[in-house]
Amino acid sequence: MKNIGLISFFVAFGSLGFLEQAEAQLYGTNTFEFQYGNLPFEENTDLTTSYNQLNLYYDSGKFSLFGKAEQFLSPVEDRNYFELTQKRFQYQDDNFRIRLGNFYETIGSGLLLRSYDIPGSVFESDFYRTRYAFFRDLEGVAFDVNLDWAELKIIRSQPLQNDLPPNFEPDSVRRPDLVEAIQATFYPTENLSVGGAFMRVNTPNNSDYSQYASLMTNIQLPANFQLFGEYAIDTESDPFSFNEDQSYALYSGLNYYHGSFGASLEYKNYNDFRLGSSGFNDPPSLIKEHTYPILNRSTHVPNTSNEQGVQAELFYTFEGDHSLVANYAYTINEVARRNEYREYFIEGTYKFNDQLSLKSFLDYAVDEPKQQDNRISIGLITDKSFGESQNVIVDLQYQTYDESFQPEKIENYFASLSYSFNSSLNISAVFEASTEPGLTDNPNTFPEIETNTRTWLGFNSLYRINTSNSLALFVGKRRGGPACTSGICYEILDFEGAEVRITTRF
Amino acid sequence: MKYILLLSLLFGGFELTQNEIPNFRLKNLDNRTVSYNQIKGENLTVIDFWATWCKPCVKSIPEFVKMDKEFEDDQVKFIGISIDGPRNKAKVKPFIKSLGVDYTVLRDSDSSVMARLRVTAVPTLLIINSDNEIVYFHEGYKTGEEVEIKNKIKELLAE
Repeated sequence: MKNIGLISFFVAFGSLGFLEQAEAQLYGTNTFEFQYGNLPFEENTDLTTSYNQLNLYYDSGKFSLFGKAEQFLSPVEDRNYFELTQKRFQYQDDNFRIRLGNFYETIGSGLLLRSYDIPGSVFESDFYRTRYAFFRDLEGVAFDVNLDWAELKIIRSQPLQNDLPPNFEPDSVRRPDLVEAIQATFYPTENLSVGGAFMRVNTPNNSDYSQYASLMTNIQLPANFQLFGEYAIDTESDPFSFNEDQSYALYSGLNYYHGSFGASLEYKNYNDFRLGSSGFNDPPSLIKEHTYPILNRSTHVPNTSNEQGVQAELFYTFEGDHSLVANYAYTINEVARRNEYREYFIEGTYKFNDQLSLKSFLDYAVDEPKQQDNRISIGLITDKSFGESQNVIVDLQYQTYDESFQPEKIENYFASLSYSFNSSLNISAVFEASTEPGLTDNPNTFPEIETNTRTWLGFNSLYRINTSNSLALFVGKRRGGPACTSGICYEILDFEGAEVRITTRF
Repeated sequence: MKYILLLSLLFGGFELTQNEIPNFRLKNLDNRTVSYNQIKGENLTVIDFWATWCKPCVKSIPEFVKMDKEFEDDQVKFIGISIDGPRNKAKVKPFIKSLGVDYTVLRDSDSSVMARLRVTAVPTLLIINSDNEIVYFHEGYKTGEEVEIKNKIKELLAE
């Protein structure tokens, strides 16, 4: 049945092409990934799998169509699938847009609803052992109207529960909640916007709707200050009571800039605010998003059942493009017990000349939810160019911390050496090592507990054949763990073997 | 078999055209929605997809600030599109201002415009001509690549 739907959709694509041949534009991307290897500690070490993702867009005047088809193949029949995982019809003119099918939309700062796409990412489920595109979309219908003085959006949709793969049966379980929402934003002056949203949610096995409302504002203040905030509640809660038995989320921020200096300050207060059965809202975490591997995987994911906190960040750019970034984050939650998360981070970049720059960071954190104390992370990255076509980057990072019930300090090491030629070829070697007990132990040898330092060594290459095609190759061992991209945190799996990825734009 | 059927249906009915950029709409840093047609350049438009957490992006932005000033009189407009989500919303404006950015910066917090323009990584830079066609696509950034980008802008202006 699904395949009939899939073929019908592409027939519609083709038919529109005949009708609108003169104005039509068809374009898209394709990502093919082939893996030979497996998760470490798995018995079948030479598993061969392939994944393909095709994204097709068709534009004709104010109309557009979109479809995403995904295919996964492995020796295990139950894991394989070929599905049309997204489809969308859109009509848009200067002030009005309607979308039918799969789309992305966020209400306010995400306190009530947030959907997202991580283009190019391929997620692998640890439990189902299949790979699929990583996104959380909405399926249904959305209207929005944009005028100079106001904006209005109306949504009726089912958010995706993206920890279930596309071939999960029954398919309805992947979209358990029905969301109906309306958001209006008004611009009474050049420097002020005020808005409100109302949302109702129907969850499985529940005939009633839960109802939520939010108020939001954005104010441009004098002297380059900007103030914004959003307050959302369950309509059965007492507004502004902030009691522990109420459901609410408050997020606000203030930012400022002057010359080469910038600063931001944020506050959060969330209580009993995980919405729907799939948790489709995503209040800001107020934790710095790091791309340094050892810090990226040490992040804190907010607990919307009960969490309060602040985050402050300062930026300064010196003459000569040297820069300094400082961040402080403090979070406290009290679910089963009181937990604090505190992090201090400073990063400096020094540009010796156009050919050589040095970047370093220092981070100190206390992470009680993970029972980690005195977590110190440091890093040094050297970037050297040779002429206009060659570049070498050396990246060294180290982390150590105390963990409850562990007599020894835990240590993590990261080192990479990267060489690039023009913008078309990049090769790198990545070495990682860890003494984390959860990583050093082989679960297959239980009750024996291995404590020797575990290491990973992998080699990457990326060849951009032309502006439309690129080829990436990985060989070796890749360390998994929590990862955050575009503010979204998820778990990536270890991998040992070889992987080829071909990306095409057309 | 499915693929053959699918491809024949697709390409049978279409005359592939140049890569025209759709008139997308996004919010700017003052929370106002603007469309691409409202802010594009007369001759060329350079779009830089970036994020506050992306190190190569941060490295490339000062170079684009210089190019924005250098090509201002040639009717070349730079547009930054930040893919930072709500998590980093507060930081985008003070961060970009501290780097001296005067050109328009938009927010694509769900990456939907990024996906529609077939961008799969940051930083990615697109150059669009006056006919709204994407004429240059540059993924990633390493020190020195600004020369290649600058030369491309000059070459396109000379056409």
